[in-house]
Amino acid sequence: MATTEFSWDNSDNQSIVLEIKGDRLKLSDDVLINNIRWFIAFRWVLIAALIFFEVLMLLASDSLAQMGISEHQKWPIVIIVVLGFANIAYTYALDHFQSSKYHSPSINLWMQIIVDLICLSVVVHYIGSTSTPISFFYVLHIALACIFFSTRESLYVTILVCVMDTLVIVIENFLITQTSLSILMSSHFSLESISRDNAVLWMFFLDILFFVVWYVVSRLSLTVRAHERHLLDAYKQINQAQVEKDQYAVLMTHQLKSPLDAIRSKINLIKGGYCGEASAGVNEALDKIDNRAQSMSSLILDLLRLERLKDTCLNTAVFKSVDIQTILQKCIDKLTPVANSKHVVLNVSIDNFVCKVIPDQLEILLENIITNAIIYSHDNASIEITSEVNQLNRSASIIITDHGIGIENKDLPNIFNEYFYSPRAAMHNKASSGIGLSIVRIAAENNKLKIKVTSEPGAGTSFTIIFNQIEFSLEKKETQLVSLAKFNLS
Amino acid sequence: MTARIAHVDDDSDIREAVEQILRKNGYEVQSYVSMQDFIDSLQNDANRPDLAILDVMVESMDAGLTAYAQIHKRYPQIQTIFLTSLGDMIRPYFEDGSHEWVCIMEKPVEPVSLLATINDRLKRREK
Repeated sequence: MATTEFSWDNSDNQSIVLEIKGDRLKLSDDVLINNIRWFIAFRWVLIAALIFFEVLMLLASDSLAQMGISEHQKWPIVIIVVLGFANIAYTYALDHFQSSKYHSPSINLWMQIIVDLICLSVVVHYIGSTSTPISFFYVLHIALACIFFSTRESLYVTILVCVMDTLVIVIENFLITQTSLSILMSSHFSLESISRDNAVLWMFFLDILFFVVWYVVSRLSLTVRAHERHLLDAYKQINQAQVEKDQYAVLMTHQLKSPLDAIRSKINLIKGGYCGEASAGVNEALDKIDNRAQSMSSLILDLLRLERLKDTCLNTAVFKSVDIQTILQKCIDKLTPVANSKHVVLNVSIDNFVCKVIPDQLEILLENIITNAIIYSHDNASIEITSEVNQLNRSASIIITDHGIGIENKDLPNIFNEYFYSPRAAMHNKASSGIGLSIVRIAAENNKLKIKVTSEPGAGTSFTIIFNQIEFSLEKKETQLVSLAKFNLS
Repeated sequence: MTARIAHVDDDSDIREAVEQILRKNGYEVQSYVSMQDFIDSLQNDANRPDLAILDVMVESMDAGLTAYAQIHKRYPQIQTIFLTSLGDMIRPYFEDGSHEWVCIMEKPVEPVSLLATINDRLKRREK
């Protein structure tokens, strides 16, 4: 007996991060929210660093003073408190307020930038606007604004930064020293005026730097967004093409199948006695014609099914929570006539569970596997459909076992290949199109399911469909205990 | 009373086959080549059928579906069966594809199952 496990990795489609609002391109709210959370986390780190610095000051103020670092002011504590409360407020607003005119991720981000700029200005003021390079930290806010806001909004941020920086420099160099000017000696006066000239120069160059940074980063950001927009357009075009392709496939299927349907309708009329009595020989010939036409019809429909499954962009491919019993019941209802025609009994005994799948596709998958089980069974045989639910790791499997012709060991790894043809199987089922299991494969791939196949030639085959991440709702558990789904259809 | 059945299909062979089966089984049948012909015929109360058998792809991709939407809205008492080459493949086109409202049969025409489905639908109408 040979067993092979099949799993197909289907990487997730990346979601599109941009949305077009009017003619301006902005980042979608989801992306903004993710980044807002990241900023908040980053700010907590900054607050922690400030607290650490303050504690260090308290514990080792003497040794630090010896190294030339002295700290007597209370501003770091105020900054810690303000940033801390602001951070809590941003998080609360993000978690508890719906997006509205007065609260949106964009407004949240604006608030963060304004509060941060005010805090930074305080820090710059106390550390030294012209004597230290601390003012360059303003550049960070400009760059972030260019990335997350539109060009116009980021320009507002840049102007705000320039105003704040100018204010800080003016207050520090012109207003605060003014009181002391009256008592300064003339020699000091000239020194003071040099430092003022330097401050004006410093202010001028800083403001120019801010605008240059804004220009360069916003240009870059525009280029990137333009590319993203092209991608979005291309994505839309692909989607549209998929829909058109599906329509074309439907049309071709219809055109190919219609003549066969007309032929088979007439055959049915003769067989039903609507065109007078036909001889046994004629009836036999008609049966053969009908069989061949039927194989061709199902091949045509299977091709359409395969095409459709490959196009996961179609609107119908949406994951939903469904209970397995309902889907299985539907398949069995549909296949009972086929089973009856071969006198095959379907024994179903499963524990119900809920799984997140594309319902139509799971139905096609189960239908194909059960159909195969029926087709490759001998007459008057039975097929067992059972389940195994593992509550611990939240996985479950549906096992479909037949006692038919089985699959040869050398064929087993290839059964899911498109148009794989096994002469032994074809001899048993002349209507085989060779794409039934390819359909199963694509459905499994789309639904992130694994399939294990165990088979012994001449003794039968067992298909195990493995579901990961199944759900149990409380009520479902109860009904499960009460009614262990057991039905026997023949 | 004889039940009146309308059948719309652009394929003459299918039209003939359905007509032959239904007439032999005592139904009154009116066949139409296009959906518009059928919808126009509904203006006249005397022409209104008890049940309509519609093809889906007549003239255009979804003529049958749009006609169905119109008929179902204006004459909800008319039962409808879709008889299409594509069978269940058209079910995704229905927003609420419940079996209660949408009855889809796959071609070819098979006398026994066609008559059984018609009987079942007509019984629903009486209810």
